[in-house]
Amino acid sequence: MTNSAFRAWSPARILMWLVLLVCAAMSIFPFYWILNGTTLNPNDVLKGVLAPGRDFLNNWKLATTAYNLPLYFTNSLVIALGTVIFGVGINALAAFGFEKYRSRARDRVFGLLLLTLILPQIAIVIPMFKMFSFFKLLNTRLAIALPSVMSVFIIFFLRQNFKLFPTEIMEAARVDGASELSIFANIVAPSMRASFASAAIYMFIAQWNSYLWPLIAALNDAVKTLPIAMASIMYAYTIQYGALMVVVAISTLPVLILFLTMQKQFVAGLLGSVK
Amino acid sequence: MALRGTYERYLNRFGWFCVAPSVLFFGVFLAYPILSSLYYVTRRWKGATNTFIGLGNFVRMAHDSIFLQALGHNFIFMAIQVPIMIFLALLLAVLLNQGIRSFRGAMRLAIFLPSVTSLVVVSVLFRALLQENGLFNNLMIGSHLISAPIGWLNNSFWAKVTIMLAITWRWTGYNMVFFLVGLQSLDSQIFEAAEVDGASRARQFFSITVPLLVPIILFSAVTSTSGTMQLIEEPNILTFQGGPANGTMTAALYIYRQAFFVNFDFGYSTAMSYVVVLIAGILAFIQIRLLGGERATR
Amino acid sequence: MKRGLVIALALVLFAVLVPGVFAQKITVWCWDPNFNGYSMKQAALVYNKTHPNVQIDIVDVAQDIEAKISAGLQAGGAGLPDIALFQDFRIEQFLHDYPDGFVDLKAAGVDYSKFAAYKVGPMTVGSHIYGIPFDTGSTGLWLRTDYMKQAGLNPDSYAGKKMKWAEVVNLGVTIKAKTGQPLLSYQSDNFDMLRIVVQSTGGQFFKPDGSLNLRSDAFKKSLALFKELNDKGLLYPVVGWSDWINSINSDKAAGFLNAIWMVGTVKSRPENAGKYMIVPTPLIEGVSGAANASNNGGSSWYVFASSPNKAAAVDFLKSVWATATPDTLAFYNTILKGAGAMGTFLPSQAGSNYTAKDEFFYKSQPVYKDFAGWMANVPVLKYTPNYQPMRDAVAHAMLKYFQGQIATVDDTIAAAEAEYKQVMGQ
Repeated sequence: MTNSAFRAWSPARILMWLVLLVCAAMSIFPFYWILNGTTLNPNDVLKGVLAPGRDFLNNWKLATTAYNLPLYFTNSLVIALGTVIFGVGINALAAFGFEKYRSRARDRVFGLLLLTLILPQIAIVIPMFKMFSFFKLLNTRLAIALPSVMSVFIIFFLRQNFKLFPTEIMEAARVDGASELSIFANIVAPSMRASFASAAIYMFIAQWNSYLWPLIAALNDAVKTLPIAMASIMYAYTIQYGALMVVVAISTLPVLILFLTMQKQFVAGLLGSVK
Repeated sequence: MALRGTYERYLNRFGWFCVAPSVLFFGVFLAYPILSSLYYVTRRWKGATNTFIGLGNFVRMAHDSIFLQALGHNFIFMAIQVPIMIFLALLLAVLLNQGIRSFRGAMRLAIFLPSVTSLVVVSVLFRALLQENGLFNNLMIGSHLISAPIGWLNNSFWAKVTIMLAITWRWTGYNMVFFLVGLQSLDSQIFEAAEVDGASRARQFFSITVPLLVPIILFSAVTSTSGTMQLIEEPNILTFQGGPANGTMTAALYIYRQAFFVNFDFGYSTAMSYVVVLIAGILAFIQIRLLGGERATR
Repeated sequence: MKRGLVIALALVLFAVLVPGVFAQKITVWCWDPNFNGYSMKQAALVYNKTHPNVQIDIVDVAQDIEAKISAGLQAGGAGLPDIALFQDFRIEQFLHDYPDGFVDLKAAGVDYSKFAAYKVGPMTVGSHIYGIPFDTGSTGLWLRTDYMKQAGLNPDSYAGKKMKWAEVVNLGVTIKAKTGQPLLSYQSDNFDMLRIVVQSTGGQFFKPDGSLNLRSDAFKKSLALFKELNDKGLLYPVVGWSDWINSINSDKAAGFLNAIWMVGTVKSRPENAGKYMIVPTPLIEGVSGAANASNNGGSSWYVFASSPNKAAAVDFLKSVWATATPDTLAFYNTILKGAGAMGTFLPSQAGSNYTAKDEFFYKSQPVYKDFAGWMANVPVLKYTPNYQPMRDAVAHAMLKYFQGQIATVDDTIAAAEAEYKQVMGQ
């Protein structure tokens, strides 16, 4: 760097550090506030008491009994994992098909898929509600998971990555008599692990945090995911803010852990779209 | 020759085999809903029954000032929040990239952290922090910035500010990461040359950094505006059902409420969602044209 | 090997994703664990004495309960419980929109002559009657005597006093000046307080033909009164029910105006003991028919036609809520004092708690006797299927009026009418 003006503690440099520190502090503070909130009684949560309290066990008990936290957590986990496992599989296969077996017809189909990228979700959920209702599938975990298994964005992202895989290697395998499926499974897929990880993380988080469709498809507590549970707690006649903070913390934790342990793939998944 | 044809057919068939599951899902969960909405949009629901009313839903919409007001709110959020957030994200990215050398990773991590939270969590957080007697007001009164508590959730002006604060908190770090990657791909020699020519920092920022990052700014603008067009968690939970008095009602929330909360009129809601789709499409088109032209589309 | 593991995992996940089969039990949806949830729990205890094998699950569904129920009815019964509680003002819309959605309890043998007649009205369609009436919403002005004392006032001189609103405003101004506390905490996104005042005059929100009736003298005077309260800083506005409850239980105001069913909430906080005094609903002056009494809320139980446990659900409601036995009468007596749930099952009204003193209130006020006494004077409010949109529209217009976005009472009414028509698509 040649930015000599910024080397000394000039007013500009101090201002810059101030901006960064304030922004960083404001970004992190709510996380502390959530964690601290899990130890407070409801009134202190709202007042914004910043010192730890003693109500953690009480809040935890309320969260797991009055708020069914284990059930919601299980629902969220099962739905997100199910989406990821099936989703990465079929999306990867599709991306592979679109990229490595190009034909005019398939290119057109891909174009059609891309067109729906800008489609707001609110436009789809109404007919989807009627459709699931017709098949008597509403209020099941399957109904919540199914619509996000296929993701145009993920197909697009993985296709970009398949582009980087040299077609010559596939040709060589063909000469050796490998079937197309085994080329995909044994040669291409293993070298794409990082991309699959990014796609998996992205899909997991999208499903874990998903709101509108689960809100509509979950008609009672049995299938509610964490965001839907939190939303209904906010609509309750009495909100136990301390216990709510426990639910908030638990619902944030998995994504936080994913981010902190797999930062590289996490960010790669985000960036897939601007390449 | 014949053999080659067979082999190509085989490859072609395999290609279809690969894309088939996804295309099937696409058909069932995207194409079919879109097509079937053409049926719903012509009907009016009342409880368990519905009747054909042709374009009646669109006529009704033209006179529905709550819907128009809700669209207006979407545009307000878009016009005010998106530019502020993009500028802030860009500024932070430049500061992190060129300004400091130590703690860069830690700072980036910290500022990105809000992006891991769900929008529901963001809404819960800000709803609690912005209570009349909540932490935010208490801190501001304590530091003599204001003398009386602000009704963040009670007053329709402040409620809009509240929503924008929440979105900015959640998304600034997210956008910053894109800009950081963009900045790292820029050639540092350009800046060195500018330095030699005596260009000020601000000048460098506006004359070099911003123009070079146009494709990424465009991308951020498109995703952010389309996100703003779909705002629903925040007005539904943070400012409670688009309150106060519809003061933060958004198009998506009003559609959701008409379809799944108040009247269960799927026809009217579908008609309104068509308008939202149309606007989202137009906005994406304009932005791509205005900001980037051909170059920005890759 | 590894792939086999993934496939096995996928199969397991698939199995879990498909809904499980539940053991047979009766599920009840209601929304306030301190009140109707508590009451239902007591009812379940009574029923389990004779039917130990029936499990009654009480679920707290919060304020989107009607939305979830509508969605379930739209989806042919998906996700619905066996029994749900409905606000009396909401049920007409449901019976009207989903004529086959509910079980006819009159046909199932419930004797409706044993219930207060005004409760049966909204649940009747032709010769069918669908619900089991639950509670009444007799209202009063709830005052914190500790703040009154702090302000140098003697609470005893207000006990049982039938005040006019002008006196209440004076009381509020004194308390505010001396203690800084606003008089009333109220929910700004909801029009319950206005409804209480309008209804104390016998005013109706709809004309007999079903069209809006917001231009009545009672409505205008009530709006003007609230504006005065608001402008004098006597109101503490909050958004959402839970925040309102929170404001009451965290001492944000010196009182509130609401119904007997707040007893459970107030009692849920031990610090409230001995502090509250409840006086008659204040009188609005210059409106003919005005009285020192009003009603807010009131709800009833319904059984869904889609329920696989219909017979058990009907039997439960019938034998605990609609049959007079020593056990059921004791049950009604318990929920009155336990949660302020004043049942509308007429044989229950001889219970000892109807006249008993309650040591939780200021100077052990016999609050149930008082509420029951005021109830006798309440004119019956008529609902329509469109009550809810009217309610939202009025609340929205009123808030704009308070915040100065609308200047006059007449404009406020016009704004409410306009919003109502838009939401209804009229």
